[in-house]
Amino acid sequence: MADQMFDYEGQLESCARGDEGAFQRLYRQESAKMLGLALTLLGQREEAEDCLHDAFVQIWRNADNFQRSLGSGRAWIYSILRYRALNRLRTRGRHLDQDDSFIDRLADEGPDATDQLHQQREGRHLRRCLGNLERARRHPILLAFYRGMTHDQIAARLVTPLGTIKGRIRAGLRALQECLKV
Amino acid sequence: MIPEQPEERRALIGEYVLGLLESSDAAEVRELIESNQEAARMALEWEQHLLELSDELSEQTPSRALWLRIQRSLGHVPIEQMAVWRHWWDSAGLWRLTSGALALVVLLSWLSTSLEQDPALANESFTAVLQPPREAASPGWVVQVDMNGTLRLEALVDQPIPEDRSLQFWTLADPEQGPRSLGLIQPGGSVTLSADQIGVVQAGQLFELTLEPAGGSPLDRPTGEVLYIGRAVMTVGS
Repeated sequence: MADQMFDYEGQLESCARGDEGAFQRLYRQESAKMLGLALTLLGQREEAEDCLHDAFVQIWRNADNFQRSLGSGRAWIYSILRYRALNRLRTRGRHLDQDDSFIDRLADEGPDATDQLHQQREGRHLRRCLGNLERARRHPILLAFYRGMTHDQIAARLVTPLGTIKGRIRAGLRALQECLKV
Repeated sequence: MIPEQPEERRALIGEYVLGLLESSDAAEVRELIESNQEAARMALEWEQHLLELSDELSEQTPSRALWLRIQRSLGHVPIEQMAVWRHWWDSAGLWRLTSGALALVVLLSWLSTSLEQDPALANESFTAVLQPPREAASPGWVVQVDMNGTLRLEALVDQPIPEDRSLQFWTLADPEQGPRSLGLIQPGGSVTLSADQIGVVQAGQLFELTLEPAGGSPLDRPTGEVLYIGRAVMTVGS
């Protein structure tokens, strides 16, 4: 979870002014969570750490590009991490065999499986909205997020025609947009 | 290929953020995000929502080395390294070791006679005896700064180093600024540096020799083992 007390935007702005202490605070605050995501995407610890290294180097160098008027500091940090992780996956060209059971489990979580009211109170809107999607639309979105798979890879993985997968994902994202507006 | 209709555009940006797009389409969306604030905002909104999925994952503590690596890549002085410098800087023990060693007394008396001093000049000169860290009374090198500010570093022992390594000479006047390289040194040799090269020397200033990769430290600070270290002590000229 994002630490509500932690001022991500303020730390990034301090980084932009060359404050190495702010950079360290950011690292302490977020590096373990970021490594969790990098490892899930890349499947190899060493490569995940390399990716985290590259991401933090970019965060420091590009901190002056961050503008709080465009969005949250935490989202900005993860956009950098994901971008670098996805690049690595594309360069590598293939996916390691990983245990996807947690993705299948999340895909199985329909509206009944989740405490909608609780999630709404907690501000977990995406989970609630994903729960409202049909499983066939939810599953490919989860594979894209957690494994960084392309349309092609998802189609192969789910043994479904490419056009169908593209349509389901697009429809799923449109439905999420509608749901997230509320 | 980028749709004008905002909701279509938002969905496409969602696909981009998820990493679903082929490289040419992805490049087009990336360009849009970089040039259009509304698109940049949409991308960060998706990213923000997707953080909920990231937060489902268990944390993985990075190895200790990673933080140091990041700092090295950015040319930041690692905090740990600063702490080491501070430790030396603050170490009263080193003072006692350095100034209390009998060898030093002998050396100083030898040095004061060997310094070529013009008695008419100002009388501030310095000496630093460099010893292996934590080893009492085993001087390996000596630094002399004469009253013109010229520094001479001279070996007292001829300790060989591995062929693929270099011996690098450093000084630290202010821990906040970090160490400064004074160049590579031949083992067992000597070197003279002008006042312009070393700057103003102060009492207590730290000098050290470290073992670095061939050609010297790849960074603007020591990366290898400290072989010899010592502080400048003022010697009063006649």
